[in-house]
Amino acid sequence: MQEPIQRQDADSANTVRMSMLQYRDVIWILVKKDFKIRYRNSSLGFVWSLLNPLSTMTILTLVFSLLLKSGIQNFPIFLLSALLPWRFFSIGTMQATGTIAGNPSLVKKIYLPRYVLVLTNNLASFISFLMEFTALLPIMVALGMTLTLHILLLPVVMIIEFLIVLGMSLGLAALSVFYRDFYQIWEIVLQLGFFLSPIFYDPNIIPERYRFYYSLNPVTRVIESTREILFYNTFPTAFDLAIPLLIALLLLAVGYAVFRRLEPRFAEET
Amino acid sequence: MNVIEVEDVSKKFKIPHERKNTVLDAIASALSLFGGRRSTFEELWALKNVTLNVVKGRSVGIIGENGSGKTTLLRIIARVMRPDQGRISVNGRIAPMLELGLGFHPELTVKENVVVFGAIMGLKRDMLKRRIESIIEFAELKRFEDAPLKNLSSGMQMRLAFSVAVETDADIMLVDEALAVGDIEFQRKCLDRFKRFKAEGRTIVLVSHDMNLVTEFCDNAVFLSRGEVVASGNTSDVVKEYIRRVESQ
Repeated sequence: MQEPIQRQDADSANTVRMSMLQYRDVIWILVKKDFKIRYRNSSLGFVWSLLNPLSTMTILTLVFSLLLKSGIQNFPIFLLSALLPWRFFSIGTMQATGTIAGNPSLVKKIYLPRYVLVLTNNLASFISFLMEFTALLPIMVALGMTLTLHILLLPVVMIIEFLIVLGMSLGLAALSVFYRDFYQIWEIVLQLGFFLSPIFYDPNIIPERYRFYYSLNPVTRVIESTREILFYNTFPTAFDLAIPLLIALLLLAVGYAVFRRLEPRFAEET
Repeated sequence: MNVIEVEDVSKKFKIPHERKNTVLDAIASALSLFGGRRSTFEELWALKNVTLNVVKGRSVGIIGENGSGKTTLLRIIARVMRPDQGRISVNGRIAPMLELGLGFHPELTVKENVVVFGAIMGLKRDMLKRRIESIIEFAELKRFEDAPLKNLSSGMQMRLAFSVAVETDADIMLVDEALAVGDIEFQRKCLDRFKRFKAEGRTIVLVSHDMNLVTEFCDNAVFLSRGEVVASGNTSDVVKEYIRRVESQ
């Protein structure tokens, strides 16, 4: 494979597309690598990533149906339908935050478009999410979920969420090269986000005047759409999907811009 | 034909007097700004107006004292760092051996690391499969191919990095003091391989403090001092100039 002359100042959308094709093999191999590392150090491996949402589900179900009596029918399904997309958002962004700062050997020793590192990390999280979802689906059905054709729309919602995660990850990964406590800050933001997203409650309990601010949370609508499909067995409206898609594209544009701006100094700061 | 063109390249590093790289630090210093305390830093020009061309098939040695900008120059050629001024153009694929070992991921096995490196170097999947054997063979690591990289000695890691770099069909190899940790036998083997690499019409840029190696192996040399090119051209002249300078100090 003979490459054309590479100039350092080459920088356009075209370069990205070219490199996406050129690095397709690399992206796939790095995703596999990421995956292996995630599950290598525990013999239970993937089982952990099922036990975690299941235990959260059990605890929250106990708290909300026995102690607080939330009155929501079939609470475990109500919860899981939101918990799974939330887990992808929080794990995806958190894991990606350290991809540049925590990878000095790849950043300093060889040239590779750096966004590839973030993208592959996100893809690995995404595949985990899909596996988690597939493995938990029978459990959800056993718990009383009705499986309808509405589920065919779910991939669209998932892809929108992936774009949101990618946009945020690019920004977070770039910023955390320069601010090493970004990871800790993001952890706190996510803890807050868990309560500010409609995971264990119905969003209608939010007072009307705060509704606008509440809906600024980029994952709110993704969670609501997932729940509509899995729990209420209804289709989200086109509007329900267009808004998060717009948010996703906006986040991607901003995240990528921040990333490109800070990228030239990555090798010096890691 | 020039495979590497470095035109008037400068690179500046900012060295802060007090390291501030957390958000908390940033907030603290923003607040104390009103009190008149500012964070200060020193500027260091790691490279100053460096111009250098490398002709295809030649090997070039870069010499100079510690901190003269040799590694920074290699990093800029490898596109790992970007210059603040000037431009670089590289025609061909680069196999960098910057710092010791590839060490992509200590938890992955030798084989898996080779796959990652090979893919980044642009080897296609089927090609990669065939090459893995010869890479591990050359590094004499057959016994350890399924061991995690972290369990290998530093010399072994260097050997692996070297074999991967020469076996991935790169046009240009950048070598930063990598031979130093290998044992004598492997150093010999590397040198032979380097010569073959060169005979195949490929280009090598070598950073080294080993003047014998540079004299024996390089067609041309560049002498860097405090980020500037002091002398360049015929290897033995440049090496002589370097030694003269060191002795006159």
